[in-house]
Amino acid sequence: MIWEVFRQEKPGDYHTHCGNVHAPDREMAKQFAVIQHGRRKPTESLWVVPQEEVGEVDADEVAFGGTTDKSYRWAMAYTSSTEHAKEVIASQQEQEQAEADRQRGDD
Amino acid sequence: MAATEIELTPDQRLALETELRTLADDEFVLAERYTEWQVHAPTLESDLALANIAQDELGHARLWYDLLEELGYDETDLLWERDPDTFRHATLSELPFPEGEWADAIVRSYLFDVAEGLRLESLEESAYPAIADRVGKIQREEGYHTEHAENWLERLATDDEGGDHLQAAVDRLFPHALALFVPTEPVPFGAETVSGDGAGSQYTDTDALPDAATVEETIVAEGYRTDSLATLGERWLDRVVPTLESHGLRTPVPADGEITDELVPDACGRNGRHTDDWDTLYADFTHTYRELGREDATMIMDRPE
Amino acid sequence: MDVETVKERAGPREFSPADDMPEKYRKAATRMIQFHANSEIMGAYLEKPFIRQAPSIDRKLAFSAKVQDEIGHGQLLYRAAESLGIKTREEMLDELANGEGKFLNCFHYPMESWAEVPMIAFFVDGAAMRRQATLKSSSWEPYAHAMDKVCFEEGFHVKHGEDIMARMATGSRKEQQMLQDAFDEWWPRIIQFFGPTDDKSTHHDFSAEVGLKQKTNDELRNAFLDAYVPKAKSYGLEIPEYPRIEEVGDGEYHVEEDDLDWDEFFTVSKNEYEPGKGQIDSRKAAQEAVDWVRDTIEGDANLPGSQAAPAAD
Repeated sequence: MIWEVFRQEKPGDYHTHCGNVHAPDREMAKQFAVIQHGRRKPTESLWVVPQEEVGEVDADEVAFGGTTDKSYRWAMAYTSSTEHAKEVIASQQEQEQAEADRQRGDD
Repeated sequence: MAATEIELTPDQRLALETELRTLADDEFVLAERYTEWQVHAPTLESDLALANIAQDELGHARLWYDLLEELGYDETDLLWERDPDTFRHATLSELPFPEGEWADAIVRSYLFDVAEGLRLESLEESAYPAIADRVGKIQREEGYHTEHAENWLERLATDDEGGDHLQAAVDRLFPHALALFVPTEPVPFGAETVSGDGAGSQYTDTDALPDAATVEETIVAEGYRTDSLATLGERWLDRVVPTLESHGLRTPVPADGEITDELVPDACGRNGRHTDDWDTLYADFTHTYRELGREDATMIMDRPE
Repeated sequence: MDVETVKERAGPREFSPADDMPEKYRKAATRMIQFHANSEIMGAYLEKPFIRQAPSIDRKLAFSAKVQDEIGHGQLLYRAAESLGIKTREEMLDELANGEGKFLNCFHYPMESWAEVPMIAFFVDGAAMRRQATLKSSSWEPYAHAMDKVCFEEGFHVKHGEDIMARMATGSRKEQQMLQDAFDEWWPRIIQFFGPTDDKSTHHDFSAEVGLKQKTNDELRNAFLDAYVPKAKSYGLEIPEYPRIEEVGDGEYHVEEDDLDWDEFFTVSKNEYEPGKGQIDSRKAAQEAVDWVRDTIEGDANLPGSQAAPAAD
């Protein structure tokens, strides 16, 4: 069976998908993943998940974030002031980045 | 193309306004009700999902109201200072949710979303280009809504108690859902929207307006909507009745499938008659606007394209 | 791992469910994160009526989105709390319903008018964001991860709240007066958001030693005043005379704590404030009214994707 593998590079990071392995069970999936996906890249932790347990929904099936204007959800829509606490500015910058990534995906 | 570039006869404009008000009011008022589930839904995840559906519907209402704005109205005319008797949503949208009746939200959403899907299909080729242009965006979001309702319907129906709740909701809501296919009584033109030469001024007076059936004929004859409400109603019954029955739910539709006027409530919304709950809802959602003595509605977003 | 090792290793995002954490740490972290999660839910509860009462379509959309986000934050935080293995989400939500779950003082006070909206949506959210930004460095990794997403979203909330305030502050005389009245009423509560000075706070020391918490109450309150007193003034709001606030130079503030009603604060904090009890109870009624739905879907524990997933081994 196939196991999807998620790697965390260092403590505190997110586990992100990095590949998969064939293995007969969870124990062997972990052993194989250690070598196949953790032997060179910095690795703090790996997760293995049976591929058949992964549910998927993709952009053909659903319009992520909607198709009508939802700019009211974004900090950028509010322009009554330009002075903000630093964490508010940081949040807006992250949102601008996410929105830019979304727009790129639409092209 | 801007709608204002199209020259409309008073009858055309009346037909168009009637269709737009119907679409917009249904979505707005239903969204208003859906938001009641925010913070009250059965689980945190289902709370998020229904909140999103409410926002989608509000966004759709915004698109339709915006087309009315192109005909000379503004948001205050269409919502905040509007006479509540001139709202034309079907009563399905306005009924309050009995406390804890999640099945009501699901059945209502199912009945409404299937109807909306069919209505949108018959607007895809609308002779009024601005309508046709907006349909696609709405349809993409409606797909999620219908599947969401169907998924819940299926899950609740497999449980005895869930089935009882669903049946009670069908019994309560089905007549009000039939109202979705009742021709809409037109609303007089706002005096501020009638041009200097007086075109359309005859329709600023309720008594001078043609009846709902006549306006419905114009809507179809002009191709603003390509199917009649009667046709849409049949398609809707063909879809929802077998689905509900497959979940063990009974509907009030007789065996011969004939829908008679007796099945539709007297106050069905489309005819300008509403339930008492509508007055309460209207008073509540306009409360702040009146309390603050506002004269305009704050926009955050740009006008829709 | 023993407590001493935890203290030695304590650093940002240092510990995860893969670590064998001592019970003392797990309990302290659960208490802190559960409090935070409860506050998200009760904050959403407090603001919900203003979705309906928002005075324009766009405001209504924004308000719905904001309340939705707060519930989403509750979802993230209860998961982070659950990952400590002390309590399930259901137990925590039941505790909140029963009046045992504690939450922020500000969310015990009923809100009646639109003018009060910016008090929560700008000042309280602004205060919360000050704190949350520091919690991205919490030692419990799932908590820090939740904070990543919360902080990402929260900028919208604060700016939306500010936008509502800006509109009122530049509106009619009546709106300006309503805003000032709301500010007068809420200001002391907002200052109390950060709790009493550290030596009066019981749970602080251990949480700080094991890195769950990054800043002291005083530091956060100062940082808040530093950013938000000038904000209030820029909208023409007069800072109430009490509690006395003294600027001691370099953006540092000193609050005369005896000017604040700490008896009320502790009554509120123990869920014994009458109007707040009403809110807890009516939320409980709403939660119980949909018990049947949860029973229906949770009966299928062996369906794929339900919560009975195998434990990590």
